[in-house]
Amino acid sequence: MKKACKYTAAAVIITFLVYHSIYFENLEDIKQQRQRETFNAAEYARDFWDNQLFSVLEKAVDVKELIELFNTNMNEAIRKYGKTPGVSRIYSYLIRGNGKILTIGEDFLQVSIREPKTNPDIKITTGFYIPGNAVRDASGLIDVSEFSDTMKFNEISGEINKIVVKEVIRPFLDKKPQVGKTIRLFGATQVAQDAFEVKEYQLVEVIPIRLELE
Amino acid sequence: MTRRLLLFIIVILSLTLLAFGCKQKRPEQVGDEESRGKGKIAVVISTLNNPWFVVLGNTAKERAEQLGYEATIFDSQNDTAKESDHFDNIIAGDYAAILFNPTDADGSIANVRKSKEAGVPTFCIDREINANDVAVTQILSDNYTGCVEMGQYFVKRMNEKGKYVELLGILGDNNTWNRSKGFHSVVDNYPELKMVSQQTAEFDRTKAMEVLESILQANPEIDAVFCGNDAMAMGAYQALVAAGKADKVMVFGFDGAKDVIDSIHDGKIVATGMQFPKKMARMAAEQADEYIKGRKDFPQKVPVAVELVTQENIAKYTAYGRQSEQ
Repeated sequence: MKKACKYTAAAVIITFLVYHSIYFENLEDIKQQRQRETFNAAEYARDFWDNQLFSVLEKAVDVKELIELFNTNMNEAIRKYGKTPGVSRIYSYLIRGNGKILTIGEDFLQVSIREPKTNPDIKITTGFYIPGNAVRDASGLIDVSEFSDTMKFNEISGEINKIVVKEVIRPFLDKKPQVGKTIRLFGATQVAQDAFEVKEYQLVEVIPIRLELE
Repeated sequence: MTRRLLLFIIVILSLTLLAFGCKQKRPEQVGDEESRGKGKIAVVISTLNNPWFVVLGNTAKERAEQLGYEATIFDSQNDTAKESDHFDNIIAGDYAAILFNPTDADGSIANVRKSKEAGVPTFCIDREINANDVAVTQILSDNYTGCVEMGQYFVKRMNEKGKYVELLGILGDNNTWNRSKGFHSVVDNYPELKMVSQQTAEFDRTKAMEVLESILQANPEIDAVFCGNDAMAMGAYQALVAAGKADKVMVFGFDGAKDVIDSIHDGKIVATGMQFPKKMARMAAEQADEYIKGRKDFPQKVPVAVELVTQENIAKYTAYGRQSEQ
Protein backbone atom coordinates (compact mmCIF):
# COMPACT_ATOMS: atom_id res chain seq x y z
CA MET A 1 0.00 0.00 0.00
CA LYS A 2 2.96 2.22 0.77
CA LYS A 3 4.22 1.51 -2.72
CA ALA A 4 0.84 2.37 -4.18
CA CYS A 5 0.89 5.74 -2.41
CA LYS A 6 4.35 6.45 -3.80
CA TYR A 7 3.25 5.58 -7.33
CA THR A 8 0.12 7.67 -6.94
CA ALA A 9 2.09 10.67 -5.72
CA ALA A 10 4.55 10.27 -8.60
CA ALA A 11 1.70 9.95 -11.09
CA VAL A 12 0.01 13.09 -9.74
CA ILE A 13 3.26 15.06 -9.91
CA ILE A 14 4.00 13.85 -13.46
CA THR A 15 0.46 14.65 -14.57
CA PHE A 16 0.67 18.08 -12.96
CA LEU A 17 3.97 18.79 -14.73
CA VAL A 18 2.70 17.52 -18.10
CA TYR A 19 -0.49 19.57 -17.76
CA HIS A 20 1.45 22.74 -17.07
CA SER A 21 3.94 22.09 -19.86
CA ILE A 22 1.29 22.37 -22.52
CA TYR A 23 -1.50 24.84 -23.09
CA PHE A 24 -4.55 25.02 -25.26
CA GLU A 25 -5.68 27.96 -27.36
CA ASN A 26 -8.93 28.50 -29.13
CA LEU A 27 -8.54 27.60 -32.79
CA GLU A 28 -10.68 30.56 -33.86
CA ASP A 29 -8.34 32.95 -32.01
CA ILE A 30 -5.37 31.47 -33.81
CA LYS A 31 -7.10 31.69 -37.18
CA GLN A 32 -7.98 35.32 -36.58
CA GLN A 33 -4.47 36.10 -35.39
CA ARG A 34 -3.09 34.55 -38.60
CA GLN A 35 -5.59 36.49 -40.67
CA ARG A 36 -4.35 39.70 -39.03
CA GLU A 37 -0.74 38.78 -39.61
CA THR A 38 -1.18 37.70 -43.21
CA PHE A 39 -3.71 40.27 -44.36
CA ASN A 40 -2.41 42.31 -47.27
CA ALA A 41 -4.53 45.38 -47.99
CA ALA A 42 -2.80 46.03 -51.32
CA GLU A 43 -3.62 42.52 -52.57
CA TYR A 44 -7.18 42.82 -51.33
CA ALA A 45 -7.59 46.18 -53.12
CA ARG A 46 -6.07 44.76 -56.29
CA ASP A 47 -8.54 41.90 -56.35
CA PHE A 48 -11.39 44.31 -55.57
CA TRP A 49 -10.37 46.57 -58.45
CA ASP A 50 -9.63 43.86 -61.05
CA ASN A 51 -12.31 41.32 -60.27
CA GLN A 52 -15.18 42.87 -58.34
CA LEU A 53 -15.63 46.59 -58.86
CA PHE A 54 -16.42 46.57 -62.55
CA SER A 55 -19.25 44.10 -62.02
CA VAL A 56 -21.19 46.75 -60.05
CA LEU A 57 -20.42 49.71 -62.32
CA GLU A 58 -23.39 48.81 -64.51
CA LYS A 59 -25.58 49.66 -61.54
CA ALA A 60 -24.10 53.17 -61.31
CA VAL A 61 -26.75 55.88 -61.37
CA ASP A 62 -26.73 58.62 -64.00
CA VAL A 63 -25.29 61.64 -62.22
CA LYS A 64 -27.90 63.94 -63.83
CA GLU A 65 -30.72 61.91 -62.31
CA LEU A 66 -28.95 61.79 -58.96
CA ILE A 67 -28.41 65.55 -58.79
CA GLU A 68 -32.09 66.09 -59.63
CA LEU A 69 -33.04 63.71 -56.82
CA PHE A 70 -30.67 65.45 -54.39
CA ASN A 71 -32.47 68.69 -55.10
CA THR A 72 -36.02 67.33 -55.04
CA ASN A 73 -36.11 64.26 -52.82
CA MET A 74 -32.96 63.46 -50.87
CA ASN A 75 -34.63 60.61 -48.97
CA GLU A 76 -35.48 58.92 -52.25
CA ALA A 77 -31.89 59.37 -53.47
CA ILE A 78 -30.62 57.73 -50.29
CA ARG A 79 -33.18 54.92 -50.44
CA LYS A 80 -32.53 54.06 -54.09
CA TYR A 81 -28.82 54.64 -54.46
CA GLY A 82 -27.11 55.59 -51.19
CA LYS A 83 -24.80 53.28 -49.29
CA THR A 84 -23.16 53.52 -45.89
CA PRO A 85 -21.26 50.86 -43.97
CA GLY A 86 -22.81 51.92 -40.66
CA VAL A 87 -24.66 54.87 -39.17
CA SER A 88 -23.94 58.14 -40.92
CA ARG A 89 -25.49 61.29 -42.35
CA ILE A 90 -23.14 60.85 -45.31
CA TYR A 91 -24.01 58.38 -48.07
CA SER A 92 -21.87 57.06 -50.90
CA TYR A 93 -23.05 56.75 -54.50
CA LEU A 94 -21.71 55.06 -57.58
CA ILE A 95 -22.29 57.38 -60.55
CA ARG A 96 -21.79 57.58 -64.31
CA GLY A 97 -22.24 60.31 -66.88
CA ASN A 98 -20.91 62.49 -69.67
CA GLY A 99 -20.00 66.13 -69.37
CA LYS A 100 -18.09 69.11 -70.64
CA ILE A 101 -14.92 70.32 -68.93
CA LEU A 102 -15.41 73.91 -67.78
CA THR A 103 -12.37 74.41 -65.56
CA ILE A 104 -9.07 72.62 -65.05
CA GLY A 105 -7.56 73.26 -61.62
CA GLU A 106 -4.37 72.06 -59.98
CA ASP A 107 -6.08 68.99 -58.54
CA PHE A 108 -9.58 69.00 -59.97
CA LEU A 109 -11.76 69.35 -63.05
CA GLN A 110 -15.07 71.16 -62.96
CA VAL A 111 -17.50 69.54 -65.34
CA SER A 112 -20.96 70.51 -66.53
CA ILE A 113 -23.35 67.60 -66.79
CA ARG A 114 -26.73 69.25 -67.23
CA GLU A 115 -27.83 71.38 -70.19
CA PRO A 116 -27.00 74.05 -71.25
CA LYS A 117 -23.65 72.94 -69.87
CA THR A 118 -22.56 76.36 -68.77
CA ASN A 119 -22.47 75.79 -65.01
CA PRO A 120 -20.36 73.17 -63.25
CA ASP A 121 -22.29 70.28 -61.69
CA ILE A 122 -19.45 68.07 -60.53
CA LYS A 123 -15.86 68.50 -59.38
CA ILE A 124 -13.67 65.54 -60.29
CA THR A 125 -10.63 64.95 -58.10
CA THR A 126 -7.42 64.75 -60.12
CA GLY A 127 -4.90 65.28 -57.31
CA PHE A 128 -1.84 63.26 -56.41
CA TYR A 129 -3.57 61.62 -53.47
CA ILE A 130 -7.15 60.82 -52.53
CA PRO A 131 -8.40 60.68 -48.96
CA GLY A 132 -11.49 58.88 -47.70
CA ASN A 133 -13.61 55.87 -48.49
CA ALA A 134 -15.83 56.95 -51.40
CA VAL A 135 -14.97 54.15 -53.83
CA ARG A 136 -14.93 51.41 -51.19
CA ASP A 137 -18.25 52.41 -49.69
CA ALA A 138 -20.06 53.35 -52.92
CA SER A 139 -19.34 49.90 -54.34
CA GLY A 140 -21.20 48.27 -51.45
CA LEU A 141 -18.98 45.24 -51.98
CA ILE A 142 -16.90 45.30 -48.82
CA ASP A 143 -18.55 44.51 -45.51
CA VAL A 144 -16.80 45.86 -42.41
CA SER A 145 -18.10 42.88 -40.42
CA GLU A 146 -15.83 40.58 -42.43
CA PHE A 147 -12.81 42.05 -40.68
CA SER A 148 -11.65 41.20 -37.20
CA ASP A 149 -10.38 44.77 -36.87
CA THR A 150 -11.49 47.87 -38.73
CA MET A 151 -7.92 48.97 -39.39
CA LYS A 152 -7.82 46.45 -42.24
CA PHE A 153 -11.08 47.79 -43.61
CA ASN A 154 -9.57 51.26 -43.63
CA GLU A 155 -6.26 50.20 -45.12
CA ILE A 156 -8.17 48.81 -48.10
CA SER A 157 -9.51 52.30 -48.83
CA GLY A 158 -6.01 53.72 -48.85
CA GLU A 159 -4.88 51.08 -51.34
CA ILE A 160 -7.92 51.55 -53.59
CA ASN A 161 -7.24 55.28 -53.64
CA LYS A 162 -3.65 54.65 -54.71
CA ILE A 163 -4.91 52.56 -57.65
CA VAL A 164 -7.25 55.40 -58.64
CA VAL A 165 -4.37 57.88 -58.74
CA LYS A 166 -2.00 55.58 -60.60
CA GLU A 167 -4.37 53.90 -63.02
CA VAL A 168 -7.14 56.41 -63.58
CA ILE A 169 -6.01 59.96 -62.87
CA ARG A 170 -2.44 59.91 -64.16
CA PRO A 171 -3.23 58.22 -67.50
CA PHE A 172 -6.11 60.67 -67.96
CA LEU A 173 -3.89 63.69 -67.27
CA ASP A 174 -1.30 62.32 -69.70
CA LYS A 175 -3.90 62.79 -72.43
CA LYS A 176 -3.81 66.56 -71.77
CA PRO A 177 -7.51 67.28 -71.20
CA GLN A 178 -8.65 70.74 -72.25
CA VAL A 179 -11.51 73.03 -71.36
CA GLY A 180 -14.47 72.43 -73.69
CA LYS A 181 -13.70 68.73 -74.23
CA THR A 182 -16.22 66.07 -73.30
CA ILE A 183 -15.47 63.34 -70.78
CA ARG A 184 -17.08 59.99 -69.99
CA LEU A 185 -17.05 59.08 -66.35
CA PHE A 186 -17.71 56.39 -63.78
CA GLY A 187 -17.02 57.49 -60.23
CA ALA A 188 -17.93 57.58 -56.56
CA THR A 189 -19.23 60.44 -54.50
CA GLN A 190 -20.19 61.04 -50.87
CA VAL A 191 -22.95 63.46 -50.00
CA ALA A 192 -24.38 64.41 -46.60
CA GLN A 193 -28.13 63.98 -46.29
CA ASP A 194 -28.55 67.67 -45.48
CA ALA A 195 -26.02 68.94 -48.04
CA PHE A 196 -28.69 70.32 -50.36
CA GLU A 197 -30.72 71.97 -47.63
CA VAL A 198 -28.36 74.93 -47.49
CA LYS A 199 -29.03 77.66 -49.99
CA GLU A 200 -25.69 77.92 -51.77
CA TYR A 201 -25.12 75.81 -54.85
CA GLN A 202 -23.59 72.41 -54.15
CA LEU A 203 -20.94 70.99 -56.42
CA VAL A 204 -20.84 67.19 -56.22
CA GLU A 205 -17.26 66.01 -55.65
CA VAL A 206 -16.39 62.83 -57.51
CA ILE A 207 -13.57 60.31 -57.21
CA PRO A 208 -13.09 58.89 -60.72
CA ILE A 209 -13.13 55.14 -61.34
CA ARG A 210 -13.10 55.39 -65.13
CA LEU A 211 -12.31 58.68 -66.83
CA GLU A 212 -12.02 59.04 -70.58
CA LEU A 213 -11.90 61.84 -73.11
CA GLU A 214 -14.40 61.54 -75.95
CA MET B 1 -0.17 -7.33 -8.22
CA THR B 2 1.55 -5.45 -11.02
CA ARG B 3 -1.65 -5.44 -13.09
CA ARG B 4 -3.68 -4.19 -10.13
CA LEU B 5 -1.14 -1.47 -9.48
CA LEU B 6 -1.19 -0.44 -13.14
CA LEU B 7 -4.98 -0.29 -13.10
CA PHE B 8 -4.86 1.72 -9.90
CA ILE B 9 -2.43 4.24 -11.44
CA ILE B 10 -4.55 4.56 -14.57
CA VAL B 11 -7.63 5.30 -12.48
CA ILE B 12 -5.74 7.89 -10.41
CA LEU B 13 -4.30 9.49 -13.57
CA SER B 14 -7.73 9.71 -15.14
CA LEU B 15 -9.18 11.30 -12.04
CA THR B 16 -6.28 13.77 -11.86
CA LEU B 17 -6.66 14.74 -15.52
CA LEU B 18 -10.36 15.18 -14.96
CA ALA B 19 -9.68 17.40 -11.99
CA PHE B 20 -7.18 19.59 -13.89
CA GLY B 21 -9.39 19.55 -16.95
CA CYS B 22 -12.20 21.24 -15.07
CA LYS B 23 -11.06 24.50 -16.64
CA GLN B 24 -12.39 23.29 -19.98
CA LYS B 25 -15.08 25.40 -21.49
CA ARG B 26 -18.69 24.59 -21.17
CA PRO B 27 -20.63 24.16 -24.37
CA GLU B 28 -22.00 27.35 -25.84
CA GLN B 29 -25.15 28.52 -24.17
CA VAL B 30 -26.04 31.50 -26.31
CA GLY B 31 -29.79 31.63 -26.36
CA ASP B 32 -30.24 30.73 -22.71
CA GLU B 33 -30.70 34.40 -21.98
CA GLU B 34 -34.22 34.17 -23.38
CA SER B 35 -35.17 32.27 -20.27
CA ARG B 36 -33.67 34.91 -18.03
CA GLY B 37 -36.34 37.47 -18.87
CA LYS B 38 -35.89 41.19 -18.17
CA GLY B 39 -33.32 41.27 -15.47
CA LYS B 40 -29.98 42.94 -14.99
CA ILE B 41 -27.72 44.56 -17.59
CA ALA B 42 -24.07 45.23 -16.87
CA VAL B 43 -22.35 48.31 -18.31
CA VAL B 44 -18.59 47.75 -18.33
CA ILE B 45 -16.61 50.91 -19.13
CA SER B 46 -12.86 51.07 -19.82
CA THR B 47 -12.36 54.04 -17.49
CA LEU B 48 -14.52 56.52 -15.64
CA ASN B 49 -11.56 58.83 -15.27
CA ASN B 50 -12.62 60.65 -18.44
CA PRO B 51 -15.90 62.56 -18.70
CA TRP B 52 -16.55 61.23 -22.22
CA PHE B 53 -16.69 57.65 -20.92
CA VAL B 54 -18.81 58.72 -17.97
CA VAL B 55 -21.37 60.03 -20.45
CA LEU B 56 -21.11 56.79 -22.44
CA GLY B 57 -21.66 54.65 -19.33
CA ASN B 58 -24.41 56.76 -17.79
CA THR B 59 -26.36 56.94 -21.06
CA ALA B 60 -26.15 53.16 -21.54
CA LYS B 61 -27.32 52.65 -17.96
CA GLU B 62 -30.18 55.14 -18.28
CA ARG B 63 -31.40 53.63 -21.55
CA ALA B 64 -31.24 50.08 -20.14
CA GLU B 65 -33.25 51.24 -17.14
CA GLN B 66 -35.80 52.92 -19.40
CA LEU B 67 -36.18 49.58 -21.16
CA GLY B 68 -37.00 47.90 -17.87
CA TYR B 69 -33.68 46.48 -16.74
CA GLU B 70 -31.73 46.95 -13.58
CA ALA B 71 -28.37 48.34 -14.76
CA THR B 72 -25.01 48.54 -13.02
CA ILE B 73 -21.83 50.29 -14.19
CA PHE B 74 -18.43 48.60 -13.75
CA ASP B 75 -15.23 50.65 -14.10
CA SER B 76 -12.30 48.67 -15.56
CA GLN B 77 -9.84 51.52 -14.84
CA ASN B 78 -8.09 50.75 -18.14
CA ASP B 79 -6.94 47.42 -16.69
CA THR B 80 -7.83 44.16 -18.46
CA ALA B 81 -7.33 42.19 -15.22
CA LYS B 82 -9.97 44.33 -13.47
CA GLU B 83 -12.13 43.97 -16.55
CA SER B 84 -11.76 40.18 -16.33
CA ASP B 85 -12.81 40.22 -12.67
CA HIS B 86 -15.87 42.25 -13.62
CA PHE B 87 -16.81 39.70 -16.25
CA ASP B 88 -16.45 36.87 -13.72
CA ASN B 89 -18.73 38.68 -11.31
CA ILE B 90 -21.21 39.52 -14.06
CA ILE B 91 -21.36 35.91 -15.26
CA ALA B 92 -21.83 34.70 -11.68
CA GLY B 93 -24.34 37.47 -11.05
CA ASP B 94 -26.86 36.26 -13.62
CA TYR B 95 -26.87 39.35 -15.84
CA ALA B 96 -28.90 39.23 -19.05
CA ALA B 97 -26.41 41.21 -21.18
CA ILE B 98 -23.22 43.25 -21.09
CA LEU B 99 -22.85 46.67 -22.70
CA PHE B 100 -19.12 46.75 -23.06
CA ASN B 101 -16.56 49.46 -23.72
CA PRO B 102 -13.37 47.36 -24.01
CA THR B 103 -10.04 48.28 -22.51
CA ASP B 104 -7.84 46.55 -25.07
CA ALA B 105 -8.63 45.42 -28.62
CA ASP B 106 -6.78 42.13 -28.14
CA GLY B 107 -6.69 41.78 -24.36
CA SER B 108 -10.46 42.07 -23.99
CA ILE B 109 -11.32 39.28 -26.44
CA ALA B 110 -10.98 36.55 -23.81
CA ASN B 111 -13.46 38.31 -21.55
CA VAL B 112 -16.08 38.57 -24.26
CA ARG B 113 -15.50 34.94 -25.23
CA LYS B 114 -15.91 33.94 -21.60
CA SER B 115 -19.25 35.72 -21.36
CA LYS B 116 -20.44 34.24 -24.66
CA GLU B 117 -19.64 30.76 -23.45
CA ALA B 118 -21.52 31.47 -20.25
CA GLY B 119 -24.54 32.55 -22.28
CA VAL B 120 -24.28 36.26 -21.52
CA PRO B 121 -24.35 38.30 -24.77
CA THR B 122 -21.93 41.22 -25.11
CA PHE B 123 -22.50 44.42 -27.09
CA CYS B 124 -19.35 46.47 -27.65
CA ILE B 125 -19.61 50.26 -27.66
CA ASP B 126 -17.17 52.78 -29.14
CA ARG B 127 -14.04 50.64 -28.91
CA GLU B 128 -13.71 47.39 -30.80
CA ILE B 129 -12.20 44.02 -30.06
CA ASN B 130 -10.12 42.31 -32.73
CA ALA B 131 -12.51 39.44 -33.20
CA ASN B 132 -15.76 39.15 -35.11
CA ASP B 133 -17.26 36.03 -33.63
CA VAL B 134 -17.65 36.66 -29.91
CA ALA B 135 -19.62 39.86 -29.38
CA VAL B 136 -23.20 40.04 -30.67
CA THR B 137 -22.40 43.36 -32.33
CA GLN B 138 -19.86 46.19 -32.05
CA ILE B 139 -21.08 49.76 -32.39
CA LEU B 140 -17.94 51.73 -33.16
CA SER B 141 -16.92 55.30 -33.80
CA ASP B 142 -15.62 55.59 -37.36
CA ASN B 143 -12.40 57.12 -36.13
CA TYR B 144 -10.38 56.65 -39.30
CA THR B 145 -12.83 58.52 -41.52
CA GLY B 146 -13.32 61.17 -38.86
CA CYS B 147 -9.60 61.78 -38.75
CA VAL B 148 -9.33 61.88 -42.54
CA GLU B 149 -11.67 64.86 -42.37
CA MET B 150 -9.73 66.26 -39.43
CA GLY B 151 -6.49 65.87 -41.43
CA GLN B 152 -7.96 67.81 -44.35
CA TYR B 153 -9.03 70.62 -42.04
CA PHE B 154 -5.65 70.57 -40.30
CA VAL B 155 -3.85 70.96 -43.66
CA LYS B 156 -6.12 73.87 -44.56
CA ARG B 157 -5.61 75.65 -41.24
CA MET B 158 -1.85 75.12 -41.40
CA ASN B 159 -1.68 76.42 -44.99
CA GLU B 160 0.06 73.15 -45.88
CA LYS B 161 3.19 73.93 -43.89
CA GLY B 162 4.55 74.08 -40.33
CA LYS B 163 5.72 71.97 -37.40
CA TYR B 164 3.39 69.92 -35.29
CA VAL B 165 3.22 67.42 -32.43
CA GLU B 166 0.96 64.39 -32.24
CA LEU B 167 -0.24 63.03 -28.88
CA LEU B 168 -1.37 59.43 -29.18
CA GLY B 169 -3.83 57.58 -26.94
CA ILE B 170 -3.43 54.13 -25.40
CA LEU B 171 -1.20 52.13 -27.71
CA GLY B 172 -3.18 48.89 -27.34
CA ASP B 173 -6.43 50.53 -28.38
CA ASN B 174 -7.42 50.36 -32.05
CA ASN B 175 -9.01 53.81 -31.78
CA THR B 176 -5.57 55.29 -31.19
CA TRP B 177 -4.22 53.92 -34.45
CA ASN B 178 -7.35 54.37 -36.54
CA ARG B 179 -7.28 58.06 -35.58
CA SER B 180 -3.57 58.46 -36.17
CA LYS B 181 -3.63 56.62 -39.49
CA GLY B 182 -6.65 58.52 -40.76
CA PHE B 183 -4.94 61.80 -39.90
CA HIS B 184 -1.62 60.79 -41.47
CA SER B 185 -3.31 59.41 -44.60
CA VAL B 186 -3.90 63.08 -45.43
CA VAL B 187 -1.23 65.10 -43.66
CA ASP B 188 1.74 62.99 -44.75
CA ASN B 189 1.07 64.00 -48.35
CA TYR B 190 2.28 67.51 -47.55
CA PRO B 191 6.08 67.48 -47.24
CA GLU B 192 6.21 70.92 -45.62
CA LEU B 193 4.16 69.69 -42.67
CA LYS B 194 6.76 68.29 -40.25
CA MET B 195 5.84 66.17 -37.25
CA VAL B 196 8.55 67.00 -34.70
CA SER B 197 7.33 64.57 -32.05
CA GLN B 198 4.78 61.77 -31.67
CA GLN B 199 4.26 60.46 -28.14
CA THR B 200 1.59 58.70 -26.16
CA ALA B 201 -0.23 60.46 -23.35
CA GLU B 202 -2.64 57.53 -22.93
CA PHE B 203 -5.80 59.58 -23.49
CA ASP B 204 -5.07 61.30 -20.16
CA ARG B 205 -5.29 65.05 -19.56
CA THR B 206 -2.53 65.29 -16.93
CA LYS B 207 -0.16 63.08 -18.88
CA ALA B 208 -0.79 65.14 -22.02
CA MET B 209 0.16 68.30 -20.16
CA GLU B 210 3.37 66.74 -18.85
CA VAL B 211 4.30 65.16 -22.19
CA LEU B 212 3.77 68.39 -24.13
CA GLU B 213 5.70 70.42 -21.54
CA SER B 214 8.61 68.08 -22.08
CA ILE B 215 8.28 68.20 -25.88
CA LEU B 216 8.17 72.01 -25.83
CA GLN B 217 11.55 72.13 -24.12
CA ALA B 218 13.15 70.37 -27.08
CA ASN B 219 10.87 71.88 -29.74
CA PRO B 220 9.78 75.35 -28.63
CA GLU B 221 8.73 76.46 -32.12
CA ILE B 222 5.69 74.41 -33.02
CA ASP B 223 2.56 75.52 -34.82
CA ALA B 224 0.02 72.87 -33.86
CA VAL B 225 -0.77 69.88 -31.67
CA PHE B 226 -3.00 67.07 -32.90
CA CYS B 227 -4.40 65.07 -29.98
CA GLY B 228 -6.05 61.66 -30.20
CA ASN B 229 -8.79 62.71 -27.77
CA ASP B 230 -10.24 65.78 -26.11
CA ALA B 231 -8.84 65.10 -22.64
CA MET B 232 -5.34 65.25 -24.13
CA ALA B 233 -6.30 68.38 -26.10
CA MET B 234 -7.25 70.11 -22.85
CA GLY B 235 -4.00 68.95 -21.23
CA ALA B 236 -2.03 70.18 -24.24
CA TYR B 237 -3.81 73.53 -24.11
CA GLN B 238 -2.93 73.87 -20.40
CA ALA B 239 0.74 73.21 -21.21
CA LEU B 240 0.64 75.85 -23.94
CA VAL B 241 -0.97 78.39 -21.60
CA ALA B 242 1.78 77.71 -19.03
CA ALA B 243 4.42 78.18 -21.74
CA GLY B 244 2.79 81.40 -22.99
CA LYS B 245 2.14 79.86 -26.41
CA ALA B 246 -1.61 79.30 -26.33
CA ASP B 247 -2.25 82.08 -28.87
CA LYS B 248 0.36 80.83 -31.34
CA VAL B 249 -0.17 77.07 -31.33
CA MET B 250 -3.36 75.50 -32.67
CA VAL B 251 -4.80 72.54 -30.77
CA PHE B 252 -6.95 69.87 -32.42
CA GLY B 253 -8.82 67.29 -30.36
CA PHE B 254 -11.14 64.35 -30.93
CA ASP B 255 -14.29 63.28 -29.01
CA GLY B 256 -16.71 66.18 -28.71
CA ALA B 257 -16.38 66.45 -24.92
CA LYS B 258 -17.98 69.37 -23.10
CA ASP B 259 -14.83 71.27 -22.15
CA VAL B 260 -13.50 71.13 -25.71
CA ILE B 261 -16.84 72.16 -27.24
CA ASP B 262 -16.83 75.11 -24.81
CA SER B 263 -13.20 75.84 -25.75
CA ILE B 264 -14.02 75.83 -29.47
CA HIS B 265 -16.80 78.34 -28.69
CA ASP B 266 -14.22 80.45 -26.85
CA GLY B 267 -11.67 80.18 -29.66
CA LYS B 268 -9.15 78.26 -27.55
CA ILE B 269 -9.29 74.89 -29.34
CA VAL B 270 -9.47 74.85 -33.14
CA ALA B 271 -11.45 71.68 -33.85
CA THR B 272 -12.56 68.28 -32.62
CA GLY B 273 -14.13 65.17 -34.08
CA MET B 274 -17.63 64.72 -32.70
CA GLN B 275 -18.22 61.15 -31.70
CA PHE B 276 -21.68 60.36 -30.52
CA PRO B 277 -21.37 58.55 -27.17
CA LYS B 278 -25.04 59.02 -26.29
CA LYS B 279 -26.22 57.71 -29.64
CA MET B 280 -23.90 54.69 -29.47
CA ALA B 281 -24.79 53.88 -25.86
CA ARG B 282 -28.52 54.07 -26.56
CA MET B 283 -28.13 51.87 -29.64
CA ALA B 284 -26.24 49.25 -27.63
CA ALA B 285 -28.89 49.14 -24.89
CA GLU B 286 -31.70 48.94 -27.44
CA GLN B 287 -29.97 46.18 -29.39
CA ALA B 288 -29.35 44.22 -26.19
CA ASP B 289 -33.07 44.50 -25.47
CA GLU B 290 -33.93 43.33 -28.99
CA TYR B 291 -31.50 40.42 -28.64
CA ILE B 292 -33.03 39.35 -25.36
CA LYS B 293 -36.45 39.48 -27.00
CA GLY B 294 -35.27 37.14 -29.75
CA ARG B 295 -33.63 39.08 -32.57
CA LYS B 296 -30.34 37.47 -33.57
CA ASP B 297 -29.38 39.00 -36.95
CA PHE B 298 -27.06 41.84 -35.96
CA PRO B 299 -24.23 43.12 -38.15
CA GLN B 300 -20.97 42.35 -36.38
CA LYS B 301 -19.49 45.85 -36.77
CA VAL B 302 -21.42 49.09 -37.11
CA PRO B 303 -19.26 52.17 -37.69
CA VAL B 304 -20.90 55.37 -36.47
CA ALA B 305 -19.76 58.44 -38.40
CA VAL B 306 -17.69 61.10 -36.65
CA GLU B 307 -18.33 64.74 -37.59
CA LEU B 308 -15.81 67.56 -37.73
CA VAL B 309 -16.61 70.40 -35.31
CA THR B 310 -14.88 73.70 -35.95
CA GLN B 311 -15.27 77.32 -34.96
CA GLU B 312 -17.29 77.76 -38.19
CA ASN B 313 -19.96 75.12 -37.48
CA ILE B 314 -19.91 74.98 -33.66
CA ALA B 315 -23.48 76.34 -33.52
CA LYS B 316 -24.80 72.97 -34.75
CA TYR B 317 -23.19 71.07 -31.90
CA THR B 318 -23.37 70.68 -28.18
CA ALA B 319 -21.33 68.48 -25.86
CA TYR B 320 -21.41 64.84 -27.01
CA GLY B 321 -23.72 65.38 -29.96
CA ARG B 322 -25.67 67.58 -32.36
CA GLN B 323 -27.98 70.29 -31.09
CA SER B 324 -30.82 68.75 -33.09
CA GLU B 325 -30.39 65.32 -31.48
CA GLN B 326 -30.40 66.33 -27.83
